[in-house]
Amino acid sequence: MTHREGVTTVSHDWTLIKASSLIDDQVIIEIDGNTPVEQACHHLVKNNISSAPVFNMSTSPHGNTVKKYCGMFDAGDVIAYILLVLKSSSVNDTGSLEIQEIVQRAMNGKQVPVSLASDLSQRNPFYSIMHETTLLSAVEIFACGTHRVCVLKPDGTIKGILSQSTVVKYLYEHRRQFPEIDDLLNRTVRQLSLGESAVISVNADSPVLEALSQMSEHGVSSVAVLGHMGVILGNISMTDVKYVLKSVHHRLLWETCIQFVSLIRTQQGIEDGQDRLPVFDVRLETTLGFAIAKLLATRAHRVWVTDERDRPIGVLSLTDIMVAVAGQVGVTPTGTRRSSVSRPAFAI
Amino acid sequence: MTLDLDTCLEHLYEKKLLAECVLKEICEKAKELLLRESNVMHIQAPVTVVGDIHGQYYDLIEIFRIGGYCPDTNYLFLGDYVDRGLYSIETIALLTCLKLRYPDRVQLIRGNHESRAITQTYGFYAECMRKYGSAQVWHYFTDMFDFLTLSVVIDNSIFCVHGGLSPTIHVLDQIKIIDRFREIPHEGAMADLVWSDPDPDKDDFAISARGAGYTFGKLVVDKFLHQNQMSHILRAHQLCNAGYLVLFEDKLSTVWSAPNYCYRCGNKASILEVGGNGERFFNVFDAAPENDEKNSQVAVPMDHQIDYFL
Repeated sequence: MTHREGVTTVSHDWTLIKASSLIDDQVIIEIDGNTPVEQACHHLVKNNISSAPVFNMSTSPHGNTVKKYCGMFDAGDVIAYILLVLKSSSVNDTGSLEIQEIVQRAMNGKQVPVSLASDLSQRNPFYSIMHETTLLSAVEIFACGTHRVCVLKPDGTIKGILSQSTVVKYLYEHRRQFPEIDDLLNRTVRQLSLGESAVISVNADSPVLEALSQMSEHGVSSVAVLGHMGVILGNISMTDVKYVLKSVHHRLLWETCIQFVSLIRTQQGIEDGQDRLPVFDVRLETTLGFAIAKLLATRAHRVWVTDERDRPIGVLSLTDIMVAVAGQVGVTPTGTRRSSVSRPAFAI
Repeated sequence: MTLDLDTCLEHLYEKKLLAECVLKEICEKAKELLLRESNVMHIQAPVTVVGDIHGQYYDLIEIFRIGGYCPDTNYLFLGDYVDRGLYSIETIALLTCLKLRYPDRVQLIRGNHESRAITQTYGFYAECMRKYGSAQVWHYFTDMFDFLTLSVVIDNSIFCVHGGLSPTIHVLDQIKIIDRFREIPHEGAMADLVWSDPDPDKDDFAISARGAGYTFGKLVVDKFLHQNQMSHILRAHQLCNAGYLVLFEDKLSTVWSAPNYCYRCGNKASILEVGGNGERFFNVFDAAPENDEKNSQVAVPMDHQIDYFL
């Protein structure tokens, strides 16, 4: 490599970096589409992963069997499935054909294959990007609410999964290299018009089932658990459904939200040898950089934005950060996946 | 009413619950006493330093058995008296009464669990509801927690705090000006002192995975000790399998005093005995035998009448 005065080989334009370069080859856990949903759930829990690509084997024109990816199975789908099955006794003719088929099968005691259930939440269809896809394109996909995409190798097999957190971590760690990112990170949450948004919440004494219903109905991945005077005591996220799955007869669905949060935090504290704050939050005056550092350190997908009395006034998620980053280069993503208008609601 | 501390202590050493009105009085008197303490208290050795207890009452008694009872031994407690264990109320009531009875022999520092938000998640609130039928006792104690000091210095040489250091605190005077009489905030110097952890793999400060406070490394420790002309940092806050952990070439120690944490971790615990010449000895101990005999009966919620003692 030759170096000349004033010429640098380091890129200062993040938009053109290949998204695939952010990850190494990974061993991906995939799920056969014929696997019954319950087994697929245990697969996620056992391997301690939050989502897995679902494939079906199909015959190619040449006559050999080939893997075809039909969706991503994740906690959102698990929740939608649980709510659906619990509600199945009162189902009528609303809902798409697939959902009806699921309910029919579940009611007749027949196993539901995960290929049918893998996009029940309609929030994480199978998204794949190619080897050459730019980071900007990946950010645009993430800004619409998708949490992870599969990165394909030139031969069509999966190289690995690229998540929102990996992209945010990369941009944060290289912010000095990218002046417009550095500039963005120095602005406060308030200055970026982030942080004041609808807060989906449940009362500390309501059952966990209510929290899951709210998540599904509003298309969010976390709900705030509120105590006395509207103070936020904790939150329940989509990924917490794994604790429900681990409990006998899913009994945790009927515990109160505060008991559920206590259980999870208590368990986590023993495993880590150290306890955490029950709520990760920032203020409107916090810089985006600090908020991101907190997200990365705690490995959370969102932080709550609270006022001086610890009441939640909004939420700042990795998706919001992706929107802000895309906005920095003048890109406004369309087609966000938050609205529940076009879907049947699974409220109980 | 006049508070008869000796009778209260007698009952508390028998692990009896005090009446709600008595607890109210104890907390009121404690607040008056603690109000006068600085955010940085200076004490002299010999003193025995105790780490996290977390409601493990029988293990607190075990500590007195091996370290000596008050007031024969001077004690410094580093916080985290409540949550997780089965007897948070009995534990904090005993410690508060000891502080009132022997104010110069007992020092109590605030831990991150001495907070309303934390105690609603990690067990103290639930225990108050279960044993007293209302949240009143929880209110009395959490109001009193707001008055606990933040740090202690032994012999102008050993800096004692529950968690660790803060990027905004370089000298002790900066701790003295904090307004500590409030719920622990999520950010800032007060939060950092009760939440931070040392990290032997780092040199500087980094944001903590706990959601509050920082992790800090060798350079930070060296600089703080040098600037304040002290020789050692003593803290608690993290579970230690061996009961204690010494880091940064003996510049920092963690003391952990809850053996067999949550009645299942199987860890040892320790208390640190600081001698008159600055010698430090970790007295390691196991869980008290009463835990095996008594705790299994308590796991089931109590339906029977609870006797309160006035």
